[in-house]
Amino acid sequence: MTTIKPDRRSILKAGAAGAALAALGAPHIANAQAATLKITTWGGKWGEIMKGDLLPAFEREFKCTVSADQAFPFLPKLQASPRGNPIYDVLHANSNEQWKAVEFGIVEPKVDPKNVPNLKDVYPYAINDKIAGVSIFTSGIGLGYRTDKGLGKPTSWKDLADPKLAGQRGGYLIPVNSLGQAHLMMLGQIYGSGMQDLDAAYKALEALKPIKLFDFTGQMEKALLSAEVTMGVIHDSGVYRYEGTPEPVDFALPSEGVLALEQVLTVTPGSKVKELAYAYIDYMLRPDVQKKLAEAVWYSPSNTKVQLDAKYDAKLFNTPEKVARLIQPDWKWYNARKDAIDLRVTRILRG
Amino acid sequence: MADLSAPALSVPAAPVLSPRRPAVSAIAWAVGPALLLFVVFFILPFGVMALLSVLTGNPAIQSGVTFTAQHYERFFEDSLYFEALVATLRIGAITTVASLVIGYPLAHLMARTHSRIGHALLLMAVIAPMLTGIVVRTFAWMTLLQDRGVINTTLLSWGLISSPLKLMYNEFGTIVALVHIYVPFMVLTLTGVIGRIDERLEQAARSLGANRTRTFLEVTLPLSLPGILAGSLLVFALSISAYVTPFLMGGTDVLTLPMLIYQQVGASFNLGFAGALGVVLLAVSLIVIIAYNNVLGRFAGGEKMA
Amino acid sequence: MSARPDAGHIAYLAVNGAIITFLLAPIAIITVFALNPTPYISFPPVGISLRWFEKFFSSPEFMGALWLSLQVAVVVLVLSMVIGGLCALALARGNIPGSRVLTAFFMSPLMLPAILTGLALFQLYLLLDIGRPVWGLIMGHTLVAVPYVLRTTLAVLHNFDRRIEEAAAVHGASPARVFFEVTLPLIRPGVFAGGIFAFIVSFDQFPISLFLVMPQGETLPVVLFNYMKFDLDGAIAAASMVSILMAVSVVVILEKVIGLKSYVKL
Repeated sequence: MTTIKPDRRSILKAGAAGAALAALGAPHIANAQAATLKITTWGGKWGEIMKGDLLPAFEREFKCTVSADQAFPFLPKLQASPRGNPIYDVLHANSNEQWKAVEFGIVEPKVDPKNVPNLKDVYPYAINDKIAGVSIFTSGIGLGYRTDKGLGKPTSWKDLADPKLAGQRGGYLIPVNSLGQAHLMMLGQIYGSGMQDLDAAYKALEALKPIKLFDFTGQMEKALLSAEVTMGVIHDSGVYRYEGTPEPVDFALPSEGVLALEQVLTVTPGSKVKELAYAYIDYMLRPDVQKKLAEAVWYSPSNTKVQLDAKYDAKLFNTPEKVARLIQPDWKWYNARKDAIDLRVTRILRG
Repeated sequence: MADLSAPALSVPAAPVLSPRRPAVSAIAWAVGPALLLFVVFFILPFGVMALLSVLTGNPAIQSGVTFTAQHYERFFEDSLYFEALVATLRIGAITTVASLVIGYPLAHLMARTHSRIGHALLLMAVIAPMLTGIVVRTFAWMTLLQDRGVINTTLLSWGLISSPLKLMYNEFGTIVALVHIYVPFMVLTLTGVIGRIDERLEQAARSLGANRTRTFLEVTLPLSLPGILAGSLLVFALSISAYVTPFLMGGTDVLTLPMLIYQQVGASFNLGFAGALGVVLLAVSLIVIIAYNNVLGRFAGGEKMA
Repeated sequence: MSARPDAGHIAYLAVNGAIITFLLAPIAIITVFALNPTPYISFPPVGISLRWFEKFFSSPEFMGALWLSLQVAVVVLVLSMVIGGLCALALARGNIPGSRVLTAFFMSPLMLPAILTGLALFQLYLLLDIGRPVWGLIMGHTLVAVPYVLRTTLAVLHNFDRRIEEAAAVHGASPARVFFEVTLPLIRPGVFAGGIFAFIVSFDQFPISLFLVMPQGETLPVVLFNYMKFDLDGAIAAASMVSILMAVSVVVILEKVIGLKSYVKL
């Protein structure tokens, strides 16, 4: 991994600003009057809450405007923009992409707790060395299944290989989907010597054929709902969101552990409004903001202080015990081999 | 534009009448706006991409970038890429032929329908599918063709089949959906041309004793060749660059160059390799198109039809 | 056509009926999806509800995007008819050396997967430091719309007897009169067919727009795609239906006002 040396002066400046801010005890940021914060964010329900509620509130509080890009793909756009004048100040992406961005030197690898006070309250997994920047939410990747097809609740990742599921199991296009990539590593863990045992993973993948592969999780959701697949790899949020509806789908946490699908924020080194960028990350980690989003989209909040309503509390990863079940893939390792893996899995799954 | 139109329109009749040595005529200037558009908004940016394909990085944002052939070498390192190129061209060719076969009768019907209401209804039937949006339309095809889709469910419930037919997650499904998307392009291109064929020519042929088939083969079809040429080129160009449809319909069986390009841009972030794949696809398809143009152009007897 | 009900004619109509069924089948599915209350396509449909249309029409994001897409598509329509029509005339009549290669070259934006075109334009705009203006988006769309007008116009130009123009000129018509009264009506079917394509290509354009839209000014396909990634529900089908209904009403209006068949020979 290439370590990026952050510009010391900007860190000092940001640190000083953070200190000044803390000292004043006021949420206003100096010189932020007409500032614009450029961020990326998700669409869908998440985007509705952000644009309808959370971002306007942030704009009022910090007297700035926020320009939120929801049009994928974010990373190529950031990649194409000049380092000194990046198109985004804060990048919201999944962990695998964030590590790629770190490698390109277009985001800062770490967020200094001095600039983001709420970091002191997050679970260790959200800022450990498997994470670039900070993970503000996570979902658990496990198995979604239909409850009306006579399948028992799956207990292990191995249940996906049940011969009965031939042609009715679902996965992802590994080259483009991080759930598919994480699942491949999980196959190495289950059937081989560990997450990095690619040979075992390839063999296990071969055994999953015939399998239906999807581009993004929304498609897997629909495939489950319409019974096109009866069991598939999916994140908890994609199934829990149908709770309270009559849909015969449920989510199972395999005993070997669930894979973490982290929502990660990083700051770009060339950002002209770094104080505001850090303030935004801090804002996203506030317990009330976290609770709102967590309950809207069934994502597990990173902040330990969040008190969820009972039905969310029962399912999301929000205690140290539950968090311990999350397995975080080593994306730096994976990204370094991505091209070779892409070729290999494409060959395995073809025909 | 204003100063262009004046000379462009003052085409003297006399020189045009001497077909032996065609001098470049003043109307050639009318190519100006298009040329300008292409140079600024296509050649220039595509040049940037082509340049990236022979560099180790992006010189606009990083230093120490050098020239390399690595991205092109990679194309030949694994036969998968070449197979993808072949699959792209094959799918493009099949889609083009199928669109022509399906599009021609409908175009003919439209061109020969004299009732205004009938014509408007046909036009709606052709245009409506074009405006559904490519993604939504592809999802509709998935709903029809997937294992639990409308067709399979119906056939299963009627007891005609015992297990779902493999209608998608393969090249067949991909081509069905592609043809559906591009048939309207074929139809609208052909209608304009067929509509201009004098019906009296067909009637004359019939009154001279030619049957329907012969009239079609010897009168209507040759005269509609320019439309066939134009329509096929459009459909071919469109289907070799299609991404969403093969991605959603092809499952694990179909791999085309545009899919690989999307992967490189959107998930591997390797613009150099994506650029190289783009250059290869564009070069190969230009050769195919120029060859096709020449062959059919000569066949149609129009040396300047292009 | 003297429609004698013989076997050949019946087969002809049957084939066309099958083709139209093929064209319209997915629209039937989309209609069901748009009217079905469940958030996915279910068969048989479980009921009828307008909730997805409500969702579509009550969302400022969808509405803003629809409006922007329409505006952009209209500008692209006009630009590409003018640029493509002129270009076709020049290529067919200008005796330009190598015009065949040039024509193939003008087709190339269609052959390149549009994500590369979009990315390349994005990179260019960044290098020129002009941001992502709406005209930049329009030019990107026009680039991929012009080839349609070019091709369809060339197709009608080929069948068109040049002597008509020459005769008009010989009889003393001014070049402008020749153009407006002879040339233009003759190429109109091609230009209009191309114009329809141009409008649709722009309205449905996704990969180029993906890179060139601004965060607060996204076109409908971009909004729909991003929406779909997270909420794959009937709202996208409702958006589709709205587009189709708009297209149908445009056809009806054009037919009433100018008479499509006689005017554009389409």
